Parts: sequence; structure tokens; C-alpha cells
Amino acid sequence: MTAKQGRNIAFSALVLIAAAIWIFPLYWALTTSLRSENRIVSDAGVWIDELNFSAYIEVLSTSKLPIWYLNSVGTSLIITVIVLITGMMCAYALSQLRFPGRRLLYLVVVASFMVPVPALYVAQFVLMSDLGLVNSWWGIILPQLIVPVVVIVYKQFFDAIPKEMREAVLLDGGGEFTLLFKLYLPLNWGITAALAIITFISAWNNFFWPFLVVTSESMMTIPVGITQVNDSFGVFYARMMALALLAAAPVIIGYLIFQKRVTEAVMISAGVKG
Amino acid sequence: MKHTLSKLAATTALITGLCSPAWAQVEVEWWDFLAGGDGVRMKALISQFNEEHPDIQIEGTTLEWGLPFYTKVRTSVAVGAGPDIMTYHLSRLPLALEEDVLSPISDADLETAGLSKDDFFEASITAASTDDGQLMAIPFDIHAVVVHYNRTALEGTEWLDDDGNLTNINSIEDMTNLLTWAKEQGFSDPLSFQSEGGGGTWRMFYTLLSQQGGEILTDGEVLAGDNMDKAVTAIQTLADWRAAGLIPEQAAYEASVALFSGRKSVLHINGVWEVPTFKDQTEDGSLGFEWFANEVPQMMDQPATWADSHAFAIPNDPEMTQEKRDAVLAVIGWMQEHSLAWAGAGHIPAYKPTVESAEYAELQPNATYVSLADNAAFDPRSKIAGVASPIYDAVDNLIAPAVHGFLSAEDAAAQMKDQLQGLLD
Amino acid sequence: MSIATRRRREVRDAILLVAPFLIIFGVFFLYPTYKVIALSFTDAPLIGEGNWIGLDNYIKLFSDRLFYTSVWNNFYFVLLTVIPTTIIALLIALAVGKLKGRMQALVLTLFFLPYVLPVSVVTMIWAWMLDFQFGILQPLIEAVTGKPVPVFKNPYWVMPMIAVVTIWWTNGFNVLLFIAGLRNIPDDLYEAAALDGATAWQRFWRVTWPLLWPITALVLTLQLILQLKLFDQVYLLSNGGPFNSSYVVLMQMYREAFQLNNGGYASAIAMVLFGIIVIVSVLQFQLLRIGGRRK
Repeated sequence: MTAKQGRNIAFSALVLIAAAIWIFPLYWALTTSLRSENRIVSDAGVWIDELNFSAYIEVLSTSKLPIWYLNSVGTSLIITVIVLITGMMCAYALSQLRFPGRRLLYLVVVASFMVPVPALYVAQFVLMSDLGLVNSWWGIILPQLIVPVVVIVYKQFFDAIPKEMREAVLLDGGGEFTLLFKLYLPLNWGITAALAIITFISAWNNFFWPFLVVTSESMMTIPVGITQVNDSFGVFYARMMALALLAAAPVIIGYLIFQKRVTEAVMISAGVKG
Repeated sequence: MKHTLSKLAATTALITGLCSPAWAQVEVEWWDFLAGGDGVRMKALISQFNEEHPDIQIEGTTLEWGLPFYTKVRTSVAVGAGPDIMTYHLSRLPLALEEDVLSPISDADLETAGLSKDDFFEASITAASTDDGQLMAIPFDIHAVVVHYNRTALEGTEWLDDDGNLTNINSIEDMTNLLTWAKEQGFSDPLSFQSEGGGGTWRMFYTLLSQQGGEILTDGEVLAGDNMDKAVTAIQTLADWRAAGLIPEQAAYEASVALFSGRKSVLHINGVWEVPTFKDQTEDGSLGFEWFANEVPQMMDQPATWADSHAFAIPNDPEMTQEKRDAVLAVIGWMQEHSLAWAGAGHIPAYKPTVESAEYAELQPNATYVSLADNAAFDPRSKIAGVASPIYDAVDNLIAPAVHGFLSAEDAAAQMKDQLQGLLD
Repeated sequence: MSIATRRRREVRDAILLVAPFLIIFGVFFLYPTYKVIALSFTDAPLIGEGNWIGLDNYIKLFSDRLFYTSVWNNFYFVLLTVIPTTIIALLIALAVGKLKGRMQALVLTLFFLPYVLPVSVVTMIWAWMLDFQFGILQPLIEAVTGKPVPVFKNPYWVMPMIAVVTIWWTNGFNVLLFIAGLRNIPDDLYEAAALDGATAWQRFWRVTWPLLWPITALVLTLQLILQLKLFDQVYLLSNGGPFNSSYVVLMQMYREAFQLNNGGYASAIAMVLFGIIVIVSVLQFQLLRIGGRRK
């Protein structure tokens, strides 16, 4: 082994240790959740030395976690589907068609980046109240449908598709919708998946808006629900950590499966090509 | 394991139950803020009610106590998305009237619930009514703070009498001596309570203020005359204890309870609602010492203990159907009749038939602190007072900092007077 | 098909395609934006009508001490997060870039994972880690300060600790951007520099840093805007306390609107935040462009 190889291994080990420290909070949550409540407050060994699932069973049987899952999955999926379809259609028109107001529309979409969305929550809450949608799925969903980045990213990708392909379809008598769904969309499945992931994650993780618009426990999404029950658990730290991990499990598992796509999605959404 | 499995099965049944269509059944949306031991008891009451009433189903939601709860109530009632019934603190009634969130309770309503005003203590009815006597909520209990104490640790000392009750604590000095002794015995935080601010700090402060005969509000003036000095004394007492390490630093509510059950504190001043927590731990043997609760001893000029009441209220909703209202009233009536179970959560029921029953007379430790009902110091009846009121802001931003030495007791009291007076004028 | 018919059809299709987006955008974004502006000139409660009171809300705002505290805390938080997270992310990206194959994938996964967690999961875990009585990090704090500190209850510790939690949570995103940026730097530039006998340190300052500048600028801008919108972590960890030392602008907006029922005043607060973000992002954009040109 040369000195250089040795240095490389030492460096890798160092980085790995740093990464392990970085992820320690999650590991510690796991350790805590697998212990009995009494042990947690008495002695604190760092290693997982107990596999006590009672906290998980307790949480699953006493909290409304299953219903919150349902609410989170339902609202996030609907948001993702609507955002992608409307965004894609709008981007297609902006990219390929000439119509009055095109530049203005694009400008407004780009400028909307600068508006901090939470600043609109007061008005959006009033609007939802006028529509009678407070404490409903649609109340959670509607204000979250504004994701201008989807339009901008789609437009960039549509712009890059050669004009010749478009002419060919038009000559065959296809209309704009055929073009979009038979040509532009299939060519951009990758970007669609990426945008879907990023939209889904941000909807799933949104706390502030659902927190405002939801009032009853059975309408809460996961991020809101788990903060409401932590008081009713009192000093039961194992249960709180079990709850936190159960709440995080879908995104963690999803990320581990679609890792490459997620990474790609994050880069694309920031306008950086990986 | 069998127990947990049946729980899982129950959850599954609940979920599938939610998906199947409900038959002719009134669903009552219920909100409360009851956590910990009394939360468990209330949930048991709710499920018992649901079992006994196939035609009415209570759908319970427990929200975070205090400001988060009352914020949700206010906004959701304003947009017509509130619950059908909720628990409410009577200390907050003036604020509720100001916010216009409660629906008045008529005599006919009481009749539907199978109740009458005579079933309740007069003081409770007054507290639940507007100034001109309109009932706005139906009282459920009176609850106060008590001293939870570690009897095992105090065994054989001068502070325990032959019956095992606290004795010989007649002044602040006596209390300080006890706490100093406990500190020497290895109790790191001898007297625990929620010292970070919030309800716990307010209850301590108000108890000490009231034991001096002090009042927050007299004739629309905040901390008038020598009430100011009494407030300073109350804050200074707590600050001295903190400086000597006799009370915990910035203890959150849960932590203050854990300090006591974890044998780091010998005394724990907290609500009667923690009685079931310690009772349950005693029964399953996880506490590890003998626990009991007494009235807060008289350490100053007169006996006094902070107290408040839980009540049931119906939110203002013009669209509520008569059928639903009747169902809600049936729930309230049933709860009153079963308030002995609630007394098991440490509270003193507001419903006289329960309090006068033989079973109640035998209930421990409630029986040892019945006297506190006479010495109860309720929050001033004003829109600046009550749970999650401006007074609570002052507690968080002025009293708690003063207790921790970030501010002098005099400055804290003076600023408190200014702030609260500003809201009244 | 005549050109005119084709034009008409194109416009018709465009309208059909744009309409769904435009309707949603109009109703749930443009209208609320207009509404917030309008509300900020009234004394409206959260729900219900108010009276036009001109600039009164703004005048009141600029004599509201709590508002100054909030704005100050927002900028303090930006200071505590933006530069540190940029530096940490760059260091991690450089380290990860040196690794190969599976090892690289593993390390990247570990560093990125916190980013996908819901904010309340993050705050629950950290509140437990830093718990005054039982937190596993308290011995560490004790080693430094001599005694355990209730970090979210201490006026001096609260903002820095919220910053630490935030950096831990959001840093993975920045790491990814830097890694993408590093991959876009052609290898032959490094080789050329190596042939010139440049040290690793010189290679970083002469090749990596200038070529990475657009990404760095992007990270700084995105972080700045993101961190100005701070609310969730503060609400969940310290609720603005102790003694208002972690009160931020959105917290005040939330309290005014939803707890104190002052819809108009809350809207004025929202407008000021809006203004701050616009000004800051324009300023920063200009500054970074100048910074970029000089390189």
C-alpha cells in the first residue's frame, strides 16, 4: 500500500465519521424509540441494546397517525397531479405557441418567485373561509397549487426540443394536445418524475399552511398532527421518537428508493443541471 | 402482548369503521385540551358514552393546552368550522365574551340536558355567567394546585405528622428550611413546578400573591396600592429560591412532573389533574416511593390557593341544528352524572349530587384537600386574565425572567402593571 | 389551411392550455396578493369587513417595538445560517467529491437525508437531543459552559440553536447544488493547473472557487430568501420566547392575525416582509453579479 492509498483511506474514514455524526440525531431517535420509558430517563447508553416496540404499538393504537397518513398522501398526491398537469400545459403554450400576453404571463410567473408565500396566508385563509373550505382537503390543497418553478423548468425543457419533430406531427394532422401528450411529455418523462418528486416532498412537508387551515384532529396532515399530540404524551420520550420516526418513515423510504431521482429533482428545481 | 394486540385490533376496527357509512347517528365533534392523566380519564368517559349511545357518536380531538387551543377555537368559530362542544376554562369567560365565541345556554337547554342551575355550586354558576346572569357554559369542575410530596423521603422528619400529612410549614422560612434540607439530602431541585413561565409560574405567583391578600385588579386598576409590594414579594420569593437552587431552572411542564417522579424533587406544586398520573404510577409500581397530595400550606398571611374551573361550552354557530344541539346537551348531562370518574382525576366536581355522594367522600386524596375549596383564589374576572390571556404573556415575558434573574422583581412588577393597565384603558 | 385559421387555432389552443393554470394562479395567488395589499390599509379583523384607515397600520408598525425586535431577529438568524451553511455545504461537497463509487453514494445519502424530513420531525428530534434534563447533548454543553443550558429557554442560546437545527435540516440541498457545480468543472482545467505545479490550495482558489461562483451565488440567494421566511422552527422550538428573543416577523403576523384577530395589521406586517425580501434579493443579485464579474 502506497502512502497515497493510505491517505485516501484515512480521508474516506474521516468523511464517513463526519457523515455518521451528521446522521446521529436520527440514530438517537431510533435508539430512544426502542427503549422502555423508564430506561430513557435513568441511564443513557449510546448503543441500541433493547428492541422494545411497545412505544410504536402504543403510538399506532392511540394516535390518529393512520388517518394523518391518509390525509398527507391524499392531499400531496392531488397537489402533485394538478400542479404538474396545469404547469406542463401552461409551459407548453409559453414555449411553443404565440398568443397575446405571452411575455407578460411569463414575466408574472417569474416575478412570483419573489413573493414570500406565507405573507399571503392571511388573505388565503380569508378566501378559504369565504369558500367554506376551512378544515377540508381542498382547503389544504388549493393554495399549495402555486408552484411557478414547474412552469419555468418545463418551459426550459420544451424550448430545447428541436422544431423539426414538431413540424412532422403537425403535418400528420395532429393538434397541440396530441403534440404535448404524445411527443413533448414522453420526451420529458425524466423531468416529469423529478418535478413530481419535488412537488410531492414539499407538499408532504408543508407545516405552516395545513397548521392554519386544519382545525380537527381527523383532518390533520402528518407534520401538523404529530405536533398536536406531543403534549398528550407528556414525558413519554420513547413514544415521541417513535411517532417522529413513523411520521418520517414514508419520506425516508421513498428517498432511499428513488435516491437518484430525488437528487436530480433537487438540482433541476434550482435550475442546475447535474 | 395480548393487550397491545387487542389495541391494534381496535385501531384497525376504528379505521375501517370510519370508512363505512354511518347510519342514522348524530356525530358530535368534541374538542378538549386535556393531556396526561386527566386526558386518559376523559377519553375513557368518551368511549363509555359512545358505547352506551348508539345514536350519538362523540368524535374527540385533543389540542395543545392554552394559547394554541384558544387560538384554534377563536379562528375556527369565526369561520364556522368549530366543534359542537368544547371544554373551556371559566377564568377565560370574560375573554370569550369579548371574542364572542360562546353560544348562550338557556334554561330549556339545561332541561334537555337533564340539569338545572340548582345542581351546581352557586359560585360556579356565577363564574359561568355574564354579568347580567346569562349562563354561557356549564361548569364541570373546580381544580386547584396542591402540593404533591414524596412521603417516603419526608418520613421521620419534623415536616410530616403522624397521619403522614405535611405539617410545620407556616412561613416562607419554614418552606425554605425544608427545601434546603432536601437539597442536602441530594434532591437536585427540591420544589418542582413549571418554572419556565406559562400556567405553572402563574399559579405559583398567584398563590403567593393571594396568600398575602394581594389582588391583581381592584376597581379597574392593576396592582393598585400595596398590591404592588405584594407582587414584588411573591416574585422575589421565587427568585430567591431559584438563586439558591431550590426550584428548577426553566423547567417545562413535562420536565417539572418528571423531576418529581424521578426523585429529583421532594415537593411538586401542580394541579390536582396530575393526581391520576401519580396514582397510576403508584398502582403499577413504577413510582418507587410513596406519593401523596395536600393543600398548599399557608406560608404567608392567609391560606389561599390558585384555582380555576373547567366547563363545557357550545361554540357560537348559527347553523347548528336542534338535533345536534340536543345531542350535545345529552353529552353534557351524561358527563355530569358520571363526574365521579372525573373526580378520580383529582378534580372537585361542580355537580353537587356527585360531591354529596358517599363514594366521593371516600375518594383519596381528594378528601384531604376538600378544604381548599374555601380558600380558592380564582383569576380576576377581566379580559386581561384567564388561561392564555395577556396576563400569561406578562408571566412569560416578565415574571419568569425575573425569577431567573434576568430582571429585578421590582422592574418586573412595574412593567407588568404598565402593560396590563395599558390594555384596560 | 390558411395562415389566418392556423393563427386563430393556435391562439385558441394556447388559451385552452394556459387557462387551468391561469385560473388557479389568479384565484389563489394574484387575488390573495391584491387582498393582502388592500387589507393592510384597513382595520379589518381576520374574518369580516374593516374600514379604510390609510397608512395607520404602517405608522403603528414603525413605532411597534416588537416589530423591530422581530425584524432584527430575522436578520440575526440570516447571519447565523446563510454564510455558515454555505461554507459547511461547500466543505462537505468537496469532501464527497473526492470519494468514489459506493462510498460516495453512502456519504451523500447520509448528509442529504435530513432534508427530506418534515420540519416537525426535525424539531421533535432536536428538542429531545437538547432536552434540559435528559438530552444527550447536554453533557457536551456542560463540558463547554460548565453547566447544562435549557437552550430554547435561554435568550442568548435560542437563536443560535435554532440556526444549528435549521442548518442540519436544510444543508443537504446546498451540498447537492455544490456537487453539481463541482462536476461541471472540466477535469482538464485541474490537470493543466497541476502541470503548472499549483498546490491543492492554489488549485482551489484559482480554478474551483471562480468557476463555482455562480453556484455559490445561487446558494446564497436561495438561502437568504428561505431563511427570511423563518416561522416553523421558531413556532415549534421556542414559540418566539424566551422574552421575545426569538420572535420573528412571520411569528408576529401569525399572532396578530390568528390570535389577536387583527387581519389588517397582520397584512401590513406581511407587506413589510414582502418588501424586505424584494429589496434584499435585488440587492444581493446586484452584489453577487459584481462579485462574479471581478473573478
